[in-house]
Amino acid sequence: MKAKIFLLIFISLFLSLSNLLMANKVEKVLLPVKEDPTISFRIWFKVGSQNDPEGKEGLAYITAKMLTEASTRNNSYEKILEKLYPIASSYSEKVDKEMTVIYGRTHKDNLEEFYKLFTDAILYPAFKEEDFKRIKTNAINYIQNDLRYSNDEELGKAALYGFIFERTPYVHLTAGTIESLNNMTLEDVRGFYERYFNKYNFVIGLGGGYDEKLVARLEKDLSGLGDVRSQTPPKPNVQPIQGYNFLMIEKDADATAISFGFPINILRNDEDFVALWVFNSWFGEHRNQSSHLYQVIREKRGLNYGDYSYIETFLNGGQRNMPEPNNPRRQQIFEVWIRPVQNQHRHFALRAALRELKKVVDNGLTNEDFELTKKFLYSYSLNYAQTTMDKLGYQIDSKFYGVNDEGNYIHYFRKKLNSLKLEDVNRAIKKYIQYDNIKFAIVTKNAEEFKEELINNVPSPITYTSEVGESVLKEDLEIQNFPLKIDRENIKIVKVDEMFQK
Amino acid sequence: MVRLTILIISIFMIMNQSDALSKEKKKAEKIFPYTTYTETLPNGLKVILIPMPSDGLVSYYSVVRTGSRDEYEPGHTGFAHFFEHMMFRGTKKYPGNVYDKLVISMGADANAYTTDDYTCYHLSITKDNLEKVMELESDRFQNLFYEEQVFKTESGAVYGEYRKGKTSPFFWIWEKLLSSAFTKHTYKHTTIGFEEDIKAMPTMYDYSISFFNRYYRPENVILLIVGDIKPKDVMPMIKKYYGEWKKGYIPSKVETEPKQTAEIVTEVTYPGKSLPILSIAYKGSAYNPADKEVMAAILLGDLAFGENSALYKKLYINEQKVQFLEPQFERNRDPFLWIIWAMVNDEKDLDYVKKEIISTAEFYKNNLVSKTELDNLKKRLKYIYLMNLDTPAKVAGTLAKEIAITTTVESVDIAFATIEKLTPEDIQKAAKKYFNTEQRTIVTLKGSI
Repeated sequence: MKAKIFLLIFISLFLSLSNLLMANKVEKVLLPVKEDPTISFRIWFKVGSQNDPEGKEGLAYITAKMLTEASTRNNSYEKILEKLYPIASSYSEKVDKEMTVIYGRTHKDNLEEFYKLFTDAILYPAFKEEDFKRIKTNAINYIQNDLRYSNDEELGKAALYGFIFERTPYVHLTAGTIESLNNMTLEDVRGFYERYFNKYNFVIGLGGGYDEKLVARLEKDLSGLGDVRSQTPPKPNVQPIQGYNFLMIEKDADATAISFGFPINILRNDEDFVALWVFNSWFGEHRNQSSHLYQVIREKRGLNYGDYSYIETFLNGGQRNMPEPNNPRRQQIFEVWIRPVQNQHRHFALRAALRELKKVVDNGLTNEDFELTKKFLYSYSLNYAQTTMDKLGYQIDSKFYGVNDEGNYIHYFRKKLNSLKLEDVNRAIKKYIQYDNIKFAIVTKNAEEFKEELINNVPSPITYTSEVGESVLKEDLEIQNFPLKIDRENIKIVKVDEMFQK
Repeated sequence: MVRLTILIISIFMIMNQSDALSKEKKKAEKIFPYTTYTETLPNGLKVILIPMPSDGLVSYYSVVRTGSRDEYEPGHTGFAHFFEHMMFRGTKKYPGNVYDKLVISMGADANAYTTDDYTCYHLSITKDNLEKVMELESDRFQNLFYEEQVFKTESGAVYGEYRKGKTSPFFWIWEKLLSSAFTKHTYKHTTIGFEEDIKAMPTMYDYSISFFNRYYRPENVILLIVGDIKPKDVMPMIKKYYGEWKKGYIPSKVETEPKQTAEIVTEVTYPGKSLPILSIAYKGSAYNPADKEVMAAILLGDLAFGENSALYKKLYINEQKVQFLEPQFERNRDPFLWIIWAMVNDEKDLDYVKKEIISTAEFYKNNLVSKTELDNLKKRLKYIYLMNLDTPAKVAGTLAKEIAITTTVESVDIAFATIEKLTPEDIQKAAKKYFNTEQRTIVTLKGSI
């Protein structure tokens, strides 16, 4: 009898302990905002395009879309849209290299209706053939028509990432390739879902005016996901770059899009990160006239619409002014984006950008530049994340990177900024930024001609339709002859239709 | 849909500032938590202030009621937009580089955009910089000054923007649609303008000065400030910085578009690769919030062609004939177009999709929309509004167009009431009024590759 009681006590203790353990297993990022009448959901699955099997590139992307833009076992896609319509709510997916986030937002009044649809999407996808067909066709159209033909800027950027991350799991577009998409089956999607959308592989992100019960409910419901364990692949082993390497995409276009960059070994949790951010903000703050490159290429010379740089992936730069959260990566690149310039100015614009890069690496920032940029960023950073949804995204990224920011990355960033000194920034520049080993992706017409000009270091003078200042003309003489050492074998030319084919 | 969203958000917001203490207003106050203050200075400058909690951020909007619609003189298309660029070139007191430096040191997110009906200059700043920003903004609006050389250089950036846009097939079909549908009215050209006019911009320095003198006047501008502000502190500042601004607005001579009497069907080739795009446009009316037919037409667009419409489900979800189907039923100062867009997966289905869109338009002329559908849309609009007022930038951004077109807060109050009262019969009436073959323009785009 006694033994039985002991056994019962032991079992119940074991059960409660295991319950506790189970409960602790679900990681959470919570951002309660009492006065917010809406609730923001971001469910982070630790899977991304780096998990795509070879030959099935785009599988993570298509799988996530099969959750958010397709039928569930309880409702057809048509019915889902019908139910979401009056409550003006929606849910969607964001798939990047290392992270998939299923996110959505609703008004408190409509929480019940929304919650059911949102969790159904994650827990009970129907994987119907007709949804698969539609989603796949859209993805193929995106690559075949949009990316290759309608948006040279995004084309150049996507090409640069592929070029830098050759032979790593980061190499392909999130959406995949034409061939992989054509080869993909619904069985692949099902298998991928079962493997990675499991109960051990997600983090709950909740923000806004929710109550505690919702957290527990979500935790309980999502624990109904498959009991399978998945693994994260190792960090991509990116190849070091030797000299200047070019990928030119031949296209019948009257303007040239230029992107270039190289891998940098620094992430958000790094001690030098804010220092390097200050450098980058000065050199090329995204879509801001504070960008030095913008001043040199656009403002003084009117060669294009804008010129920016990045030390973290910035997606949809053509559309967005502020960085989108939830595309954290363990390997980042330093990237320069020169918006389309007339073909006759391509060589000059490239030289101008590289010359500025060399100048800042050699000389660092001046104290005046440093103080101004620091002041700028202290206020400007408040714009990075204004809504609860964006703030929640930032906190998820902090968890990814292991940034100990006490629940507010922007405040943490500003605090770090305050204690920064010019030496910190200039040391970070020397440590992480260089100008000798770079990869370039260039979308242009008559690429062969440009290739010869580059190899032969042909001077690239430009003329202006208007009068420009003496100092600009003087500087132009230096830019047009700025030497670039480029070897013939380091320039590869491909036709646009070959891009993202396989 | 986004446009419809914007409309509704704006309507609810302005409605709230109505002085009439009607029951509807009380209801709206519960929905909209911010109080609004409006005042017009003796020089005609209208000021709208909306305090709201915002972590110290303030959105500062200067809305100029001039856009590409006002480019009535031949050879000057794209000028309103070009001029927007020039507004960043400074004054004698604060030359461009000094202005830039000050704005940078404040960490402002500063930008501008131009539309057909208005031009908007906006900054997102911290509240401690409000007075400095006001000094800078009022200075450039009154004392803009730039040299001819700077003017010429900037035209290069505008040409760059044109080149960037031109790579999109939508740019091509948009240009073709407007130039086909309009013969006299300035809506005939796009906001960026015709390429030959952009090329000629460097020669128009003198014209740019007269453009500024004509349109950048207090009677033609509305100042909208949203965020962490106290109106009693802000109003005296506004009077100090904007009070001396001289009147002098000269309205543009925009011709009225004659009534279209026959259907226009045309094509455009995109020099690149694209799935075929179809635009079917009916002549619409100027935005008039008191007009049931106008408001009903805007809702009709969503009911017939929006993402919950029967046609969307048929063409996009079930038959998978299109990449998207989308209504664009805009609010404009003058009669514009009610447009239905579709990107077709297979060229051989172009005619089929076209017929489906047209027969759907016919269907709404002959049938009543269900009351549930209409109520669902009204409910949706309410929640779109409720969910989109969480930052000063969003509040100001969505309000800008509404105030640019209507100028008066009272008119929008009426607009909201109009929507509330709409019945299925009103929707049908709007369909009958606007969905006419004679006032229809159809443009098809095909890629050249």
